[in-house]
Amino acid sequence: MATKVNRATAAAETPATRLSPELLLGLYRMMVKCRMCDEKARILFRQGKYAGNFYSNVGQEAGEVGAAYSLREEDWVAPSHRDWTSCIVKGAPLTACFAQLFGKVDSPDRGKSTPAHMGYPSLHIITPASTIAAQLMIGTGVAWGMKRKGQDNVVVSYCGDGATSIGWFHEALNFAGVHRLPMLYVVQNNLWAESVPLRLQTALTDLSDRAKGHGITGVSVDGNDILAVYEAATRAITRARAGEGPTVLECKTYRWYGHSEIDPAKYRMKEEVEAWKKKDPIPRFEKYLADHKLLDDQIKKEVRDEITREIDEAVEFAEKSPYPAPEEAFDHIWA
Amino acid sequence: MARTLTYIDAINEALHQEMERDDRVCILGEDLGLGGGVFKATAGLYQKFGEERVLDSPLAEGIIIGAAIGASLVGFRPVPEIQFADFIGDAVDPILQQAAKLRYRSSGGFTCPITIRVCWGGGTGGGLYHSQENTTWFAHEPGIRVLAPSTAYDAKGMLIAAIRDENPVLFFEHKKLYRTAKGDVPEEPYTVSLDNAEVRRPGRDMTIVTYGYMASIAMEAAEEMSKRGVEAEVVDLRTLNPIDKKTIVDSVRKTNRCLIVHEDTKTLGMGAEIAAILNEEAFDDLDAPIYRVTGPDIPPVPFSPPLEKFFMVDKEKVIAGMEKLAAY
Repeated sequence: MATKVNRATAAAETPATRLSPELLLGLYRMMVKCRMCDEKARILFRQGKYAGNFYSNVGQEAGEVGAAYSLREEDWVAPSHRDWTSCIVKGAPLTACFAQLFGKVDSPDRGKSTPAHMGYPSLHIITPASTIAAQLMIGTGVAWGMKRKGQDNVVVSYCGDGATSIGWFHEALNFAGVHRLPMLYVVQNNLWAESVPLRLQTALTDLSDRAKGHGITGVSVDGNDILAVYEAATRAITRARAGEGPTVLECKTYRWYGHSEIDPAKYRMKEEVEAWKKKDPIPRFEKYLADHKLLDDQIKKEVRDEITREIDEAVEFAEKSPYPAPEEAFDHIWA
Repeated sequence: MARTLTYIDAINEALHQEMERDDRVCILGEDLGLGGGVFKATAGLYQKFGEERVLDSPLAEGIIIGAAIGASLVGFRPVPEIQFADFIGDAVDPILQQAAKLRYRSSGGFTCPITIRVCWGGGTGGGLYHSQENTTWFAHEPGIRVLAPSTAYDAKGMLIAAIRDENPVLFFEHKKLYRTAKGDVPEEPYTVSLDNAEVRRPGRDMTIVTYGYMASIAMEAAEEMSKRGVEAEVVDLRTLNPIDKKTIVDSVRKTNRCLIVHEDTKTLGMGAEIAAILNEEAFDDLDAPIYRVTGPDIPPVPFSPPLEKFFMVDKEKVIAGMEKLAAY
């Protein structure tokens, strides 16, 4: 009898019953915010509003948001160059995010770092280099330190499929495995490492299998399904906080645009791009929320209007923010 | 109370004392815990402080440095070890692109107080991959201190200063000095400046600029030449980045001649930079060209004893250089 009841409960349980409406709408709002900020960043680059380059995350928002949405203030994020929006998820103000792109003094790095290579020290977001997979090692070191201090905090570190080929990815996973560190490695497998297709990157089908070689947990999810990512990440983070060790979470997804804004990505088939755009994580989640009567056109409009206002204010702020004085080039070399 | 200690015992004592003083100090690297280090630089630390603070790492130099950088961001003072300078290749990105630039790229938001101990240098029969000097790979980079002490006293005082410094530091320990360099070393902890070269020997006729094991060779050569009436001032750089330009320039302004002595290969070695500094800042004070006595431009260091002897700068080679400079 008891078994029957449990079965009935399990059958009825869905993300919509497990997760509160506030959380579901929060995830939705954050995905839309990341999308709109990223698209705005691309437009601003094309308008010549800032130099350098931009590394769009559009199409990958479910992984970006789902992995870090439940983090606490004292948890750390170690992003790559494609994770500018992870700063938004962790709580960085948009004014700082756009000032970062513009290389202005109101950027957390005061114009030292390349656009989109963004950290935010007070929110424990590690300013990334461009060298691939280095952030995974530093993040792993943070996790080692926090574990030694007895904190129950975690580190979420992002990388792409290409990063899983380089030695430092493996050195990081191996060390995290030995010491059962509170790490979540989020592999945004978007099928292309700049212009190199996955088939030339690895013989693996699931990049989470990389974890097996290091004796740690590996999980692959549909990276365009925000709820799948969120629930897998939350399980991994809960395990990590409890001292049960690191996880590799592969989010199977797609990068809509080129590696950067100067890459037209002509190496990809148009049909492939169009097919993936049809799997856009945002309309997919909108349908889910609407089916559960949590979202309608009115709310959608309100969400977008509010974010538009916030972005407009942030961009205006960033444009007015001064450039650093040339002499600042000498600052912060030595402690 | 000072007693005579070897260079390696001075390093070992510095590590013991800093770990006792500050529980944020921890060490990690290959073979340094249970094994106490291949040269015993870390002997006794594992037994005293345990695996939490004295960690035998996987055989992977990248994560040795990467983990140290990360731990430093949450308050630790890690002292990672690269067992031989020849094996530092895997850690070059973590050292140069991460540790040296993290403070800069975050405009002071993050600082990285780690002290990387590296065993370097030839003259011990180590062959091509246990003898190299690669100090200049790193001395070229703003944001990371590069130290190369030559005496037991400096080894202890500079290591303690490095661990207490907020900057990332590369601390190059010459393996030939480990047991040949001995000197008075105070028992109590002390620090030595990380910003100053040291005049090891005053002299009026020429300046020898050198560092590391070569400082001891230069001192021997200077003593011998003193008997022949040539008084050389020996400047031990001690810190290769940043360089103490003032001590070098002041010395050459006095002696008007300069010989640069280093173990490293000649092309683009420290000597090139020292000569350029003197060209810019003391050109009118020079009575002779600046000469260099260095390792030859061959892969360092070929194994067979005659080949190694050919590579290594010794007292006779320095004396030959001094004679040439004195005769100009």
